[in-house]
Amino acid sequence: MEKVIIIRYAEIHLKGKNRGWFERVFVVNIEKSLKGLKHEIRRHSGRYLIENFEDSETEIILERLKRVFGIHSYSVSLKVCTDMDAVFNAAKSVCAAEGKFKVNTHRADKNFPLNSMQISAEIGGRLLDVNSKIKVDVHNPDFIINIDLRENGTALVFNEFFKGAGGMPVGTSGKGMLLISGGIDSPVAGHMIAKRGMSIDCVHFHSYPYTNMQAREKVIELTKHLSSYTCGSKLNIVSVTQIQEEIHKKCNGDYMVTLLRRFMMRIAERIAIDSGAQCLITGESLAQVASQTVEGMTSASSVLKTLTVLRPLCGFDKDEIIERSRAIGTYETSIEPYEDCCTVFLPKHPVTRPKLCDVIAEEEKLNVNALVDEALKTLETLIL
Amino acid sequence: MIYLDNAATTKPVEQCVKNAERYLLREYYNPSALYAEGYNLNLELKEARRKILSFIADENNFSLNFTSSGTEADNQAVFCGGKRGNIVTTLGEHSAVYSAAEELKQRGTEVRFANLNSDGSVNTKHLLSLIDEKTSLVSVIHVNNETGAINDIFKIAEEVKIKNKYALFHSDGVQAFGKFSFKLTKNIDLYSVSAHKIGGVKGCGALIRRKNLVIKPFIFGGGQENGFRSGTENVFAIKCFEMAAEIAFEDINVSREKVKKLNVAMRSLLDNEVFRILSYDDASPYILAVSAAGLRGETVLHEADDNGLIIGTGSACSSNAKKRFSRVILACGADKQTADGVLRLSFSSENTIDEVKTAAEILNKIVKNRLNIMA
Repeated sequence: MEKVIIIRYAEIHLKGKNRGWFERVFVVNIEKSLKGLKHEIRRHSGRYLIENFEDSETEIILERLKRVFGIHSYSVSLKVCTDMDAVFNAAKSVCAAEGKFKVNTHRADKNFPLNSMQISAEIGGRLLDVNSKIKVDVHNPDFIINIDLRENGTALVFNEFFKGAGGMPVGTSGKGMLLISGGIDSPVAGHMIAKRGMSIDCVHFHSYPYTNMQAREKVIELTKHLSSYTCGSKLNIVSVTQIQEEIHKKCNGDYMVTLLRRFMMRIAERIAIDSGAQCLITGESLAQVASQTVEGMTSASSVLKTLTVLRPLCGFDKDEIIERSRAIGTYETSIEPYEDCCTVFLPKHPVTRPKLCDVIAEEEKLNVNALVDEALKTLETLIL
Repeated sequence: MIYLDNAATTKPVEQCVKNAERYLLREYYNPSALYAEGYNLNLELKEARRKILSFIADENNFSLNFTSSGTEADNQAVFCGGKRGNIVTTLGEHSAVYSAAEELKQRGTEVRFANLNSDGSVNTKHLLSLIDEKTSLVSVIHVNNETGAINDIFKIAEEVKIKNKYALFHSDGVQAFGKFSFKLTKNIDLYSVSAHKIGGVKGCGALIRRKNLVIKPFIFGGGQENGFRSGTENVFAIKCFEMAAEIAFEDINVSREKVKKLNVAMRSLLDNEVFRILSYDDASPYILAVSAAGLRGETVLHEADDNGLIIGTGSACSSNAKKRFSRVILACGADKQTADGVLRLSFSSENTIDEVKTAAEILNKIVKNRLNIMA
């Protein structure tokens, strides 16, 4: 009787001729998430089994699997041969001490002499014989004993389904560059897009010496956390101090944030293209703050030459975002009180509905290309 | 690198660390153990307690228990001294007392905060007016850690006791101990000190207690420190503390005179067009608070750091607090812009006049340049 973990995948089974590729990426991602833990992954007729792991590390493995996109559900199971005594012994060890139960059998091996109903009845009956505190209730059971008889002569017996992260394996939907600020929203945006199978790299803008090292450390922490879902993300860090100073010196201060965001988009696009990303991702939510109006977003996006911007949080309320942030575990870090670059040189009355022509007129006071080039010279890339 | 953040922590005295190394590597026994090796360490601790105490108090009237920090000593005083009625403290306290008092308030004890004078010292009249027959604890910082303002705690304690002789009087002496000569009077019930502000190592402080005053421990356990503070004693840090205190008190007046000269020099070298000196002339010479109004103190701090000068903004313990404006500086009546630009320069007798000259040059240059950019 061997302890294994059954992994069932989500949407991959809908794929056609390229399904094999999705499956390969899926397995690689599981391998990455279990790095450092003893285990073997085996394909097992439409699902995967994790075998040969240390019993004491089961909890850690289950915890890590929670973060692998593409997993529909998983179960800790006992693997035995398709012999009724062996199946019964396995069922006995996963059976609770008391309560109402039912046995669910799935018989892939159609040559097995008993059919599903007969197996359930036989095992259920034998369980009742050895434990007087349990009784059968097929309509409203407290626990279910699942028996899965496979074609290869093995039976899997388990009593729990854990819900997986769902989505598609990271790496099957291209690569995006997430603009990460250190706030609550951007990690959530990155997580949502990664869930649909996109690899994520991040870019963070700082204004040292107006901001501090703690703010940077916080973004590193957030990216590391996001990395646990994205199978590894790079963090690009760029200083926009000079740009902010130039805007402050030469332009109408009310356009500070609008202009700065356009610079961020340009810089992010350059880094994205160099690192092979096909889009930018931001954590903007419509009308959340002064710069997140549709006009503000249009003004920012209009500088992009080839890439598109995904804004997965546009339709979310702040409390919905916070809820997700808590669920993925970035909230505690996000609310640490270090300032990011946006609060330096903050105007008293920022333009909330910038007209593109006015923005461009302000921007013409600056040597945009030179400033972008200068900023890119401060680029530092960390692999997390 | 020029180090002018000595109020945050001082460089440990190398000789003390070397001399105390044996307590880490060879005499590692548990001082509570019954065998001779342990008992000998117990005697060493007793000697350290006696010696540290002797510098500022009469050993017959006071006792001392070691703690993990000045903060822990302050917490023990606030939480274990101020249980009933109300407690009275000041707006100029270090966060070790201030936050502990706020927590006590959350738990249902009435807490009253006395206003400050413009130099950061407590408004004694206001403080006294807050004390009534139900006051169980009064806590007044000895030397303010942000402006260096000195409170005459002996006089204040005397007046407090006239108002309510049952109220305990505590003072946070972290920035005073080892820098000024004084002896605790009978009106002082509790006094906190810390090792790493005078050349000791971090992780060691002490709460000095008037003898026969019984307050509850803050940490319970094996009953070390006569039951006042459980937990195996950090013998190494305590012996470092003892030796560092010995050195500090040996030259206490010479050191202070030297630091006074550095302080005076810094005041005159900083460009008064861009800097506002916040610390008064009669403040502790070890601390000099200035403001580069119009800039954020932190911006100047980072740029100074990049130029080889380490300084502080407000107190290091509060620099990552949510509110970036110094609570104490605002309580002195400063406007927000001044409070935002606060820098704390703090000296030790290790600093030289040349360092002060270079530091002033760096600061003048940075601040002028930055103000130009921000204009």
